[in-house]
Amino acid sequence: MSSEHIYKQYDNELEAVRAKVLEMGSLVEQQIVDALESLVSHDTKLAETVIKRDHMVNALEVQIDEDCSYIIARRQPAAGDLRIILMMIKTITDLERIGDEAAKIARFSQKTIETDRMWKPRFAEIKLMATLAREMLHMSLDAFARSDATKVLPIAQMDEQVDEQYQTTIRQLITFMLEDPRTISMSLEVLFVSKAIERIGDHAKNISEYVVYMVKGKDVRHISMEEMEEVAKQP
Amino acid sequence: MNQPQASTLKNLDEVRAMIKRHKFNDYIFSVIGLLCLMVGLITLLILFIDLIQSGYPKLISADFYTNFPSRRAANAGLLSALIGSTLVMLVTFVSAVPIGVMAAIYLEEYAKKNWLSDLIEINVSNLAAVPSIIYGLLALGLFVYMLGFGQSILTAGLTLGLLIMPVVIVSTREAIRSIPVAIREAAYAVGATKWQVVHDHVIRYSFGGILTGVIIGMARAIGETAPIITIGALTFIAFLPPSPITDTVPFINFEWLSSGFTVLPIQMFSWLSRPNEAFHVNAAAAGVIIILVTLLMNGFAIRMRYKMRQNIKW
Amino acid sequence: MNTTTQSLKAETRNLNFFYNGGNHAVKNVSMPLYENKITALIGPSGCGKSTFLRCFNRMHDLYPGNKYEGQIVMHPDNTNILEQGVDAIEVRMRISMVFQKPNPFPKSIYENVAYGLRVRGENNKRMLDDKVEEALKGAAIWNEVKDRLQDLAFNLSGGQQQRLCIARALATEPEIMLFDEPTSALDPIATANIEELMSELKNKLTILVVTHNMQQAARVSDYTAYMYLGEMMEYGDTDTIFTRPTRKETEDYITGKFG
Repeated sequence: MSSEHIYKQYDNELEAVRAKVLEMGSLVEQQIVDALESLVSHDTKLAETVIKRDHMVNALEVQIDEDCSYIIARRQPAAGDLRIILMMIKTITDLERIGDEAAKIARFSQKTIETDRMWKPRFAEIKLMATLAREMLHMSLDAFARSDATKVLPIAQMDEQVDEQYQTTIRQLITFMLEDPRTISMSLEVLFVSKAIERIGDHAKNISEYVVYMVKGKDVRHISMEEMEEVAKQP
Repeated sequence: MNQPQASTLKNLDEVRAMIKRHKFNDYIFSVIGLLCLMVGLITLLILFIDLIQSGYPKLISADFYTNFPSRRAANAGLLSALIGSTLVMLVTFVSAVPIGVMAAIYLEEYAKKNWLSDLIEINVSNLAAVPSIIYGLLALGLFVYMLGFGQSILTAGLTLGLLIMPVVIVSTREAIRSIPVAIREAAYAVGATKWQVVHDHVIRYSFGGILTGVIIGMARAIGETAPIITIGALTFIAFLPPSPITDTVPFINFEWLSSGFTVLPIQMFSWLSRPNEAFHVNAAAAGVIIILVTLLMNGFAIRMRYKMRQNIKW
Repeated sequence: MNTTTQSLKAETRNLNFFYNGGNHAVKNVSMPLYENKITALIGPSGCGKSTFLRCFNRMHDLYPGNKYEGQIVMHPDNTNILEQGVDAIEVRMRISMVFQKPNPFPKSIYENVAYGLRVRGENNKRMLDDKVEEALKGAAIWNEVKDRLQDLAFNLSGGQQQRLCIARALATEPEIMLFDEPTSALDPIATANIEELMSELKNKLTILVVTHNMQQAARVSDYTAYMYLGEMMEYGDTDTIFTRPTRKETEDYITGKFG
């Protein structure tokens, strides 16, 4: 993938699509940051921005899909090129979903701010989860940019942590709800937000798995951690 | 060509003038070429017409073709010459064609390609350019005296056979070479042996070319005078060679091979050297016959070649 | 994808080939040829793939000075067809070839197909008729020519001529068929017909095809070998070669980064 095609235009086309994917990735990263921020600092305007920007994320998904189908039609990509194209198509699907989750979080944030309630939700508990999820997305996008297949293992481990955190949060919330029924609405909101974050983590993990297929040609989805370690060891 | 508009227009005019000049040159050249062609054609045509005019009275008389030569011009005829030419051509064909064709096939298909085969190829082509009288001398020494065939049809036929053999060999080789490699490879790929490829394909497809070469060679041989004179064709023959077909077993005899004979060009030459004007008429008529026969044979060769090439598309 | 058991029809063992004059055109190639499968040879011009192909039916024997080293072994009889004692004619009876440019004989359609049988001494008209028909059917051209078997082969279109050449090669019931860039002189529809034909033929015999069109190799073959400068760079099943080749050289060639 470092050497150039004889058809220079082909190189340009591939590069253009990669750039767009990375652009979508940073946009989505920003969406998550802003959505969580709006939640924590009760910033209505920020929430509004996030919701509006989701259109841009969707538009990018459509564009990139189209570009990829043109490349397939015209270039009949094979081997490494084929894997790149296929995985980019899958990646943007996951990115778009992450964008949706961010928009959901922003909408919750709006609802929370508007509702005048005695008990405002405390999102401190989910801060760890959120940080992990953000970091996972960042790492997987980085892995894509650098064609680095080694990141899949740490990201998978982080995803396990996110899942654990999620379970912990649920237990905590159940405790709250049992102690004081007035906290139920707030707890449910916190639950939904943490669910969204957990999903973001899953999507980020998917993206890192795609990178492995892109680089090594091995499909590491749906395999166990031990098997993944094996694959990571191979060249 | 990054020039402003105005000068582009000016260039256009120049270009047009140049094109006109070139077209004029084309025209001049085609006229010159045509004139050159005409010179050759018209000269030949004039000669031919002159001959016909001179020999006309004899050409139209049936006696001319059935009489023997005679001391009296009025009675002199071409019969012995016609028969003689035919028989000599027969021997020429039989001696030149099988040997020439097989030699060519061997050289093309079987012989190793090295310096020796190159040498042979060059020399065979050169043989075609040797003056025909040399063949006559060779024949005199070899056939007439050493082998004792005497001054006969056999000798004449063999001599002319030697004469045209290079032509036969070269045209056969050319015909064989024009067969594309792809066809040969296809034949071998199907499991044919070398002889099968040669027999089923090489000979079959080059047959047209071979035939053409043979006919052209024979057309030349008919008009050859020098070697025949050298080996002693008679000029005044009032008899025919014995007939090849007899009424006793085995119904074919070869006595005619050792008979004396004359051929058309000799006959014509002999009439021409008589002082009597009347014989010149005969000579002219004989000349016309020779030209006609040559043209007919060449025409036949061209037509045969055309027909045979119909099936072949390469 | 290849879960069926496959048997070896032939294999080359350390095959080397030298043209007259010393050009080392095939360098130490060891490659299997699986039965009832299509194996494709790809590579840039001059990589030796056609030379390699023509070793199989001893075509190089026709031109003096060529030298083989190594073995090409046929199974199940374990014969090395390059051995001195093995007659090239016998080899060509087991292995037939279809060439790049359609090259039918300037004979009738019938005679073209029958020729391979005639050289074997088959002269019985009934037998010949049957076998010619079978071969023409096998080459998917019977319906188009059955009413004009005595017509000249040259009157057919390019694609039809090539199918006729395939019929000619089929008539002798070979075990292996060699195709040397069979469609490079044909238009896309004729090409598709030939490729489809090859897919059907592989059920009856084993096919080795040289092509400079990579997509054709991808479409048609079960196994692909990539050759470069006389060496076998990589060999594998087609799916793997075209999605994740092992060697960078193969990857570069397939993705059009060179060649």
